[in-house]
Amino acid sequence: MKSRKQPITRRQFIKAGAHDAGLLLVGSATLAASAQLGFGARLGKDVNPFAYDVGRLRKTDPKFVHYEQIGQFRSPYPEPRRITAGPADRFYLAAGNYVSVVDRDGARVSELALSDKARCVAVAGDGTIYAGLKDHVEVFDHKGQHLAAWASLGKRAWLSGLAVGDKDVFAADSGNRVVLRYDKSGKLIGRIGEKNKDRNVPGLVLPSPYLDVELAPDGLLRVNNTGRHRIEAYTVEGDLEFFWGKASSAIDGFCGCCNPIGLALLPDGRYVTCEKGLPRVKIYSKEGAFECVVAGTESFSENWQKCSPSDCTTGGLDAAVGAGGRIYILDVVEANVRIMARKPDAPAASVGSAGVKG
Amino acid sequence: MDTRTEPNVSRRQFLRDGARAAALAGLGGVVGVMAGRSSAKGTVWQIDPSKCVRCGNCATACVLEQSAVKCVHAYAICGYCQLCTGYFEPEPNDLNTGAENCLCPTSAIRRTYVEDPYYEYTIDEALCIGCAKCVEGCNRFGNGSLFLQVRHDRCVNCNECAISKVCAGDAFRRVPADHPYLLKETSH
Repeated sequence: MKSRKQPITRRQFIKAGAHDAGLLLVGSATLAASAQLGFGARLGKDVNPFAYDVGRLRKTDPKFVHYEQIGQFRSPYPEPRRITAGPADRFYLAAGNYVSVVDRDGARVSELALSDKARCVAVAGDGTIYAGLKDHVEVFDHKGQHLAAWASLGKRAWLSGLAVGDKDVFAADSGNRVVLRYDKSGKLIGRIGEKNKDRNVPGLVLPSPYLDVELAPDGLLRVNNTGRHRIEAYTVEGDLEFFWGKASSAIDGFCGCCNPIGLALLPDGRYVTCEKGLPRVKIYSKEGAFECVVAGTESFSENWQKCSPSDCTTGGLDAAVGAGGRIYILDVVEANVRIMARKPDAPAASVGSAGVKG
Repeated sequence: MDTRTEPNVSRRQFLRDGARAAALAGLGGVVGVMAGRSSAKGTVWQIDPSKCVRCGNCATACVLEQSAVKCVHAYAICGYCQLCTGYFEPEPNDLNTGAENCLCPTSAIRRTYVEDPYYEYTIDEALCIGCAKCVEGCNRFGNGSLFLQVRHDRCVNCNECAISKVCAGDAFRRVPADHPYLLKETSH
């Protein structure tokens, strides 16, 4: 049998071609759509449906930021922990195994070598330097001559703040949740902040080791009770006089589980507070009303990232006040110090309230 | 003389023998795989807490219906905070157990009053899906006492762990089966 192909007309040929082209188009569209779906699904997988979102808290309302950065310098040594101001507008940094002395612009003046990591430092009016190590205080004269090493406070001790007055030295011990009062010879003469029902002292709550202490011009101590999110004022004998502060991620409160982690006092008695988690530095009035932001969370990108993935006990900030109201912010993650000055056009004070006052 | 030899197996025999050989080969393969698995029994999967970035994949990528990854709690590190950022939303309305204030999507964290102002937090593993939301909250603000671990009372120890393939922090690794957990410790 002879097989013969059926001839087709030009019209049939064009119709068949158009049909095939249509099918090809539909197939391509289907493939493209499925590829797009796959891509979308992949995108969806990259988005964490369980994200802990605090990104919106990173941005500070510019109207609250009344300071600007006018300088910056590196910490002379890694692992800085505290900064404090001393006579002649010099600054003392506890960093590594050293206390470094720098001038107002960060130029190194001198340094003291310690036997262990420096955790905090305070300087008396006569230039005597008190350096806090983990479990004890060491004393140096203004020339850096080693004068004394005070007795160890034991294994639980974790010194994290120092203040010095005319007659006394106050050591904030985060490990034992107490502020210790020494005379200048190193004799322990008092314990401040411990829970005491008879004296109506609720006790210091310190989930992380950031207890700080400052001696204010009014003669009272200021202590950050971080777990209660407040600043407490004590007499040097240990009586709780008043407190203020509230827990809040909002700009007028103290964020997270335990803040503020650092304190400094302006010459007129207002407070400079430092927080971790949402790293930020703020100013409160003498009565504890929120006034303004010195530097917001967006200023500390590395410090912000440090708390994720690491836990937040490896982050943190501290502050000291220099001549003319300059504020020196120590960033312990970036190991640098930012010099902040009030903006020329900053308003006198912001509206706000820090809540409870006792 | 005809030198051709008669086939000594019939077609039926050939097929039967072939099927037997195939079955034996299959069994050998299974035995080989089992042997391989038993040699891998010396190690198990675990999460290195220092590498975990809380990507959320532990909750969704495990081959089990409910992930073998759970949040665990290092009580020695915990601050027993009243405002626990692993328990409460970043901006809670109030510090109580209302669902709108709580972070955990499955209510797997129990909050128990100890004494003013301390609270203890425990994980209900039957409810925990290993999403790490609480872990991120605890690390972001606190001491990082909450962290994820593969729980070996339910992990089936796959040769190629499905979560490890998508782990954003490359935090999965094999550890000795007799030390199956990588626990966090405190330095202070």
